Amino acid sequence: MSAPHGPVAAGGAPLQADGAALPAAAVVDAPPPPARRRGATRRMLRSPLGVVVLVGVLWFSAAFLVMPNATLLLATFVPDGRLSLSAFERLLSSERALRSLGNSVLLAATLAVTVNVVGVFIVLVTGWFRMRARRVLWLGYATTFVYGGIVLAAGYSFIYGRYGFVTNALAQWWPDLDRDWFSGFAAVVAVMTFATTTNHMLFLSAALAGIDHQAIEAARLMGASTATILRRIVIPALRPMLFAVTVLTFLTGLGALTAPLVLGGEDFQTVAPMILTFARSSSSRDVAALLAILLGLATIVLLALMNRVERGGTYFAVAKVAVPITPQPFQTRWGSVVVHVLAWALWAVYVFPVLCAVAFSFVDARAIMSGSITAADLTTDHWVGVLTSADALGPFVVSVVYSGLASAAVVLGLLLVARALTRWRGWLSSLLEYVLHIPWILPTILIALGLVMTFDRPRLLVGGQVLTGTVVLLGIAYVIVKIPFTLRLLKAAFAAVPDELEDAARILGAGQLTTIRRVVVPVIAPTMAAVAALNFTSLLDDYDAAVFLYHPLFEPLGIAIKRSTEGEANVQSMGITFVYTVLLMVVQGLVLWLVYGRRGAGARRRG
Amino acid sequence: MIRFDALRVSFDDHVALQGLDLDIGEGEFFTLLGPSGCGKTTALRSLAGFVEPTSGTLHIDGRDVTRVPSERRGVGMVFQSYALFPSMSVRENIAFGLSVQRVPRDEQRRRVDEVAAQVGLRPQQLTRGVAELSGGQQQRVAIARALVLQPRILLLDEPLSNLDAKLRVQLRGELQRLQREVGITTVYVTHDQEEALALSDRIAVLSEGRLEQVGTPREIYEQPASAFVCDFIGEATHLSAEQRAALAGAGVDAGRDAWVRPEHVSVTAADDRDPAESGSGDLPAVVLSCAYRGSTTLVELEAAGARLLASVPSAEAARVEVGDRVRARVEVSAVHQYGAAA
Ligand SMILES: Nc1ncnc2c1ncn2[C@@H]1O[C@H](COP(=O)(O)OP(=O)(O)OP(=O)(O)O)[C@@H](O)[C@H]1O
Ligand SMILES: [Mg+2]
Repeated sequence: MSAPHGPVAAGGAPLQADGAALPAAAVVDAPPPPARRRGATRRMLRSPLGVVVLVGVLWFSAAFLVMPNATLLLATFVPDGRLSLSAFERLLSSERALRSLGNSVLLAATLAVTVNVVGVFIVLVTGWFRMRARRVLWLGYATTFVYGGIVLAAGYSFIYGRYGFVTNALAQWWPDLDRDWFSGFAAVVAVMTFATTTNHMLFLSAALAGIDHQAIEAARLMGASTATILRRIVIPALRPMLFAVTVLTFLTGLGALTAPLVLGGEDFQTVAPMILTFARSSSSRDVAALLAILLGLATIVLLALMNRVERGGTYFAVAKVAVPITPQPFQTRWGSVVVHVLAWALWAVYVFPVLCAVAFSFVDARAIMSGSITAADLTTDHWVGVLTSADALGPFVVSVVYSGLASAAVVLGLLLVARALTRWRGWLSSLLEYVLHIPWILPTILIALGLVMTFDRPRLLVGGQVLTGTVVLLGIAYVIVKIPFTLRLLKAAFAAVPDELEDAARILGAGQLTTIRRVVVPVIAPTMAAVAALNFTSLLDDYDAAVFLYHPLFEPLGIAIKRSTEGEANVQSMGITFVYTVLLMVVQGLVLWLVYGRRGAGARRRG
Repeated sequence: MIRFDALRVSFDDHVALQGLDLDIGEGEFFTLLGPSGCGKTTALRSLAGFVEPTSGTLHIDGRDVTRVPSERRGVGMVFQSYALFPSMSVRENIAFGLSVQRVPRDEQRRRVDEVAAQVGLRPQQLTRGVAELSGGQQQRVAIARALVLQPRILLLDEPLSNLDAKLRVQLRGELQRLQREVGITTVYVTHDQEEALALSDRIAVLSEGRLEQVGTPREIYEQPASAFVCDFIGEATHLSAEQRAALAGAGVDAGRDAWVRPEHVSVTAADDRDPAESGSGDLPAVVLSCAYRGSTTLVELEAAGARLLASVPSAEAARVEVGDRVRARVEVSAVHQYGAAA
C-alpha cells in the first residue's frame, strides 16, 4: 500500500515517500526555494552543458510525461476525433464503477480516522512516553517499512484469508465459521490501517522530535500536567504535520489497489482495481482512463490543498537552540499499565504476520492449509526451490534487474539535471522542475495506463517504435515514478555543496565537467548511493505499475506474489511467496539500515 | 600592478560596489577593511573573476582582465571556509591544480613537497584526509594549494576568521613571514582592524561599497580621512556640542564634528591647579567606570554632560575611583574634525 506521495517540503517543493522511507530531516529542514537570479536562463542557454540538459529534459518530458497524459485525455474525451462525453455516460451507467467510486471515498475517509488514531498512538508511545523496551516497540511498528504493498496484502491473506492458517485453525474448533470472515470493507480497512502508519512514523515523529524540550520544561515549571502539555503545546505544534499525513493517508485510501484486490472480495472493490478491470478490454479502456483521470484530479486537488495549508503552518521550533524532547514519565500507575498493554497488543498485531512469514517459509504448504503444524511439517523445500530453480527465482531476478537498472538510470540521468537546475535558477529551470514533478501529482496507475495507451502505436518521439508489450516500458515507468523523489534529493545534495568549493576548483583551472567529476560528485556520492538504494527497494515489490506493463515472459515479483493469492489451485506457490517475502524484508531492511540506521533513525529510536 | 578602475558591481536589487578606484603595487600586502556587508568580498571576487562587474575595468600588470576567466588571471585564492575538497587527501588537494594542468606526476610530487614545506606542513600530514586536520593546518593546506601554481597574486578572504584568538595571532605572523619570503602581491580581506593594522603595507577602508581611505596603517589610524574611518579604526569619542563648546577656548572648532581617541585624553585630580598646557583643554569630569586592560586602563568619564573615554596608565588609574570628581585633559591638536557641524 505504498502511498505515492510524501508531504510537501516547507518551501513548497514536493517530496515523494514511496512505500518505505525517506529522510524525514529533508522534509523538516527543507530550505526555502532559492530566489531566481536575473540572467540565469541566458547563462544556461550559453553553456553547452545547459543546452544538453535542456534538450534531454524536454525530449524525455515530451515523450513520457506529457504525451501519455495528453493521450489519456484525448482517448477519453475526444475518441474518434470528436469531442464526446460517451465515457462519462458509460461510467454513469455502470453500477459497478459508480459503487467503486463510493467505496474509494468511504475507504479513504475511514482510513483518515483509523490511521490517525493508530499512528498518533504509535508516535506517542515511541517518542513521547517513557515506555519499557521502547526500542523493541519501535522495531515492531517499523516492520511496515520493509513489509508493505502486495507482499503485505498477500501475507494477511495467507494468514487470515479464505485459505489462511488462522482461518483453518479456527475452523477446526468452530466448523460453522464463514471462511471469508476476513474479507470486504472491514478487512481492507484493518490491513491498510496497520500498513500505512509509515507516514506517521516518518513525518510526525520527526515533527515531535523537533519540539523544543525547554518549552515543555518551562510549561512543567508553570504547573502544567502531562495532559495539558500534550493538549496545549505538543498537539498544536504537530497540527500542520498531522494535516499533511492525513491528506497522504486519504490519498493512499483513494488509490488503494492491492489490499482491495486481494482482500476486498466481490463486495468491496474500489476505483483502482476497477481501472485495472476496465483497462483489460480495449472496449472499456475509455472508462478506465476516465476513472484514472478522476483519481488524478482528486489527488491534485488534495495535494494543492495540503501545500497551501502547510505553507501557512509553522512547525519549526522557534528556539535558537532547540533541545530535543526526552521521554515523559507517566503520572499514574494506571495510565502506565493501560498504555503499555495497548502498545504491546498493537505491537503483536504488527509483528505476528512478519513472524508468520518467516516461520511459514519453512513449513509445508499443506500443513498451513490444514491449520495445524507439527515438527514433521518443517521443511526447507521452499528455500531450496527458490534458490535452485530458475523458474522460482525468476521473478525475483526480474525485479532486481528492473529496479537496479531503473534506479541507477534515474540517479545518473538526473545528476546533470539537478546540477543545472541548482546552478541556473531562472524561469526556464523552474519550468523544467515543474514538468519533472508531474509524476509526483499523479497516481502510478494513471501513469502506467497512460504509457500503455500511448505507446501501443509507433510514436515519432521514440523513433517510431511501438513500446507497449516490450520489456522497456516497465523500466521507463519505474524511471518516471522515481524522478521527483530523486530530483528533490539530488538538488538538495548539490545545494549543500558550498559554492566556494566549486570556485576553488575553478580558480585552480578545472573546467565545469572536471569540477563536477572530481570535486562535486565525490561529495554527493553518499546521497546518490542512498537515493539509488531507496529507489531500488521501493521498486522491488512494485505491483501498481507492473500489472499494466509487465512482459509475460519476464514476470516481476509483485505479479508472481499476487498470483499466488488467487485461489486454492495456487496454494503451492504460497511457500515460495513466503520465501520472497523474507528475502524482500532482508534486502529492504538492510538498505534502510545502511541508509539511516546508524544516524537518521536516532531521533526516532532515541531512548 | 593591480588597478581597479571605477569598478561597479550591482546585484539584483542593490549596489555592492559603487565605482571603486584602487592601485595595488607589486609585492604589496594590501588589505581591504570594512564592516560586514561593505563589499570587501565582492571586490575580491571581482578580482578573482567570480563576479562580473556591471561597469568599470580591472587591470593586472597593465593587461585588461575584466572579461578574462578566473583560471587565466594568474591569481590564487584562499577562501573563508578554505574550500578544501573533502574527498581528497592533503596531497591531492594541493596537487589538484597541477593535475588539472596535466603536469607530470614526479614534478607534481616535487612541487607539492616544496610548497608544503614552505607553509609548514609536515610530510606525514600530506597523506591524511583534510577532515582530520585542525583549523590551522587546514588553513596551511589552503594556502599551499593556492601557492603551488605560482600565481602572481594571492587573494585571501578572512582566512583567520575560523580560528580561535590565540591561533589567529600566531598564524598572522606566519602569514606575514610567508608573504615576505615568497614576495607575492597579496590582497587580504578582513573586518578585523587589529589584524589589518598588524599585517598590511597599505589598507583600503570600505564602507557601503565606497572607498573611504587608502593609506598605511599609521596614516589610517593617525590621520583618518573621515569620521567613519576615525570611528571604525580604534576607539574614539564623538564629542558632543557642549564638550566642543567647553573646549573652544583651547582651539576646538565648536561648529564642526569632532572626535578624540582615548590616548589623547588624560585624567588629573580635580584640585590640580596647574594651568592647562598649551594645546590642551581641561574639562571637569566624573568617573563613571574603569575597565582594566593590563598596562592601561580605559576610564569612562562624564564631562560636560556627555561621555568621554580616557586611556590612562594603570598605575595612575589606581588612584581614581568610580564617582570621583576629576579633570579630563584633552589634547586638542589630536582632535579630528570633519565637515560642517552635525
Ligand atoms: N551574489 C549576491 N547576490 C546578491 N547580493 C549579494 C551577492 N553577494 C553579495 N551581495 C550583497 O552585496 C553586499 C556586499 O557583500 P560582500 O559579501 O562583498 O560583503 P563583505 O564586506 O564581504 O561582508 P562580510 O564581512 O560579512 O563578509 C552585501 O550587502 C551582500 O548582501
Ligand atoms: Mg565577506
